[in-house]
Amino acid sequence: MSLATLTKNWEPMSYGFLDASAKREIRRKMLKAVAVPGCQMPYASREVPMARGWGTGGLQVSLTLMNPSKRVKVIDQGADDSVNAASIRRFLARVSGAPTTLDTLEADLIQSRHRIPEEKLREDQVLVLQVPNPEPLRPVQPNMSIARQMHADADYGRMWLQLYEQIVRSGRVMQGASYPSLVNGRHVMTPSPIPRWDVPKLHMAKHLTILSAGREKRIHAVPPFTRVEPLVFDDVPYKVEDHGGLTCNRSGAKGFFMNEIPQDDGSSTYEISDSEFGVKTIKQAEGERVEFGETWYTDGEMPS
Amino acid sequence: MTAIPIPSEAERRSNQAFDALLTALSRPGSIQRLPQPGEASIIEALLDRECRVFCADPLLMPIVLATGAIVADLPAADHVFAGALQDLDVVNGLDLGSHLYPDDGATLVVRAVLGQGPKLRLTGPGIETTVEVTVGSLPEGFWDLRRQRIRYPMGFDLFLVDGDWVLGMPRSTQVEVL
Amino acid sequence: MAYVATRGGERAIEQAERLFRAEMGEITEARVAEIKAAMPYLIDRVMGEASLYDEDLAALALAQTGGELFEAVLVLRAWRTTQPRLQVADPITQDALFTHRRISAAFKDIPGGQVLGPTLDYSHRILATDVLNGFPFKPAEVEPAAQPAPAYQPSVAAWQADNDLVDLPPIDDTAPEDIPDVTREPLLFPAKRAHTLQSLARAETGGALALGYAAMRGYGQAHPTVNELRLAEADIMVRHPNGTAFSAGRVKVSQAEVVSKKGEKLELGFAATLGWNEVKCISAATLDLNSAGAEKGSATEEEFFIYHTEGVESSGFCIHFKLPHYVTFQSSLDAMRDAKAKAASRKEPAE
Repeated sequence: MSLATLTKNWEPMSYGFLDASAKREIRRKMLKAVAVPGCQMPYASREVPMARGWGTGGLQVSLTLMNPSKRVKVIDQGADDSVNAASIRRFLARVSGAPTTLDTLEADLIQSRHRIPEEKLREDQVLVLQVPNPEPLRPVQPNMSIARQMHADADYGRMWLQLYEQIVRSGRVMQGASYPSLVNGRHVMTPSPIPRWDVPKLHMAKHLTILSAGREKRIHAVPPFTRVEPLVFDDVPYKVEDHGGLTCNRSGAKGFFMNEIPQDDGSSTYEISDSEFGVKTIKQAEGERVEFGETWYTDGEMPS
Repeated sequence: MTAIPIPSEAERRSNQAFDALLTALSRPGSIQRLPQPGEASIIEALLDRECRVFCADPLLMPIVLATGAIVADLPAADHVFAGALQDLDVVNGLDLGSHLYPDDGATLVVRAVLGQGPKLRLTGPGIETTVEVTVGSLPEGFWDLRRQRIRYPMGFDLFLVDGDWVLGMPRSTQVEVL
Repeated sequence: MAYVATRGGERAIEQAERLFRAEMGEITEARVAEIKAAMPYLIDRVMGEASLYDEDLAALALAQTGGELFEAVLVLRAWRTTQPRLQVADPITQDALFTHRRISAAFKDIPGGQVLGPTLDYSHRILATDVLNGFPFKPAEVEPAAQPAPAYQPSVAAWQADNDLVDLPPIDDTAPEDIPDVTREPLLFPAKRAHTLQSLARAETGGALALGYAAMRGYGQAHPTVNELRLAEADIMVRHPNGTAFSAGRVKVSQAEVVSKKGEKLELGFAATLGWNEVKCISAATLDLNSAGAEKGSATEEEFFIYHTEGVESSGFCIHFKLPHYVTFQSSLDAMRDAKAKAASRKEPAE
């Protein structure tokens, strides 16, 4: 053994910011997360040059996966131009030299907060979702140690009870985003705060989804072709947001998840949440040649 | 901070090896390509001093030791490099984790012959319907024992290495010997 | 009309950062040096919370963030992430600390004596407004004692143990490089002792105080007596690859032992941190004292106080609520409106 085998050349910063040991830990945990879909795997979660709660979990996964030929897309609330998405995209590109894109079809890696793009993801694409709170049981059990035991026992009774009480009180499940879902018939997970509109996109999808919570230090995953079933009662079916009939005021796109824009006269208009899909729709209307991917929803409906 | 970051050779290898492992485990039955033949790039991508490793292959031992990983007895190991399996002792001794911490279940890396041998039908997460693979040079009864030992979500995760090919089988995969 | 905002986001964040930095102006070595010289206790607090001992980097972090403490700690922690781990220093015992200040509230006098050292405890807190009128404040000179207190002092708990008043924790002979490190492995509960102490050492001072104070006021089972509070310097002993041990320098550390009566013995709570930070150590030691057997979900339960005194996580999560949440909000609105419509349609047939 020589000194050279024990040392390496000085670098001002590791490639992709994270040092090799941080990456290895995340790799090991990602593999376990894939092996047990929907089960939260604890990891050390290094501090990165971004505040906790701002996508540091997703960022660590992306930094581990990045290489100079992976094209990355970053969205926040569906938009590429959202300030935090811009900040994360700039950071990823700066530390990895990877090319960026706004187009879902061109991306190899998509890091997202609160949305899944409207165009279907392919087998060769990886979706990284930022997760503020990885524990679906938190509303019924804030203590993480007890909640972990409940997952171990597949004890989801209180979760069901909570949903039942909502139906009794309000006639429906009142959960907005982050709809708790059963993965591979065993673990209840949060799909992260994506709208209910997006949860069915995870069910038997072609792509791999990795969900990472940096502040709470947990990774979970939904491998391709894995069952993701929102918790529902047989007689009260799962209901996505009633956006199927809405039209985007700016692009004319219809039948996708929308942002509601309040107007001075008390009414509302709507804009498509997947901003780049909106841009492509506008470009097409203006006569540009644009390539669209297949969408999960057709005419505002998700084919079953 | 430098202008355009360039990955070192080691970083490039580890990144590529992990891509292969992640894809292999996400799509059980699919064959992925490691950056170089053998287990070395897997060791490099995954192991460091935080790991406890059981290594049955003396040729791999120096590579394992270079990572700083702690050499452990089989039941205490989180990563097991078994080389070519002679018998089923390794499978019997693996740590399966617990219901509380399924992630403690070991990662087992075994040499096998991919593309010939008994035909297997795989189902489970990562597989749309079913997928068939042929895996040779594993001891008789391997798949039976695997099935008996895995108590999902407790279990172990398997990588089969043949040259620079790797095939992944998470504990969630059901294997039927045809 | 096309979406033009795509680059707008990037421009906006860049200009917003410029606005913030414009206020502080140019950051020079001299400014960093001045911060370091003028604010040692602030530097200590930041180094403790960042768990990174480097006064120059801490001063730079303060300069760069305009004294936004949470930001200063975050930038130091992020820098720490990128640093390789070269060596683990030898463990050090209390009586091997070069001690500047060591007091005990449990006894009038203690072996080694009460050593007041530097403190504002008995000062009158009067603002020196004259400074603003052109009269500099010149601190009076320190008069050396005829007989300086010994620099190395035994721990008070050691005396109590000799007198069968307290059971000291068993000696932990884990090899230094095997001591669990919360920055390298996940924090799980029940927490490893090293993880608890390390988390308290990294805790945000205000957070540790808030929960520690709650315990002191009566939301804990045990009332603390400060057995020992110590401000000291610790030798960082590391080893050359050829085996020679040498000192890589000294770092300021502070530690508190608090005790409480439990049956016929005293119960011990402990905390230590990098830098001199008395409030944090006493608060954290009080939390430690109260944690055994604390009810799940109470302020003195380990999981509760470790998570909620983590300053980088708590401040980050707090400010993350500034990020747009309109997708989740839209999703909730949809559920509310639907429930409302359902309620209305249920009422109609009755009319």
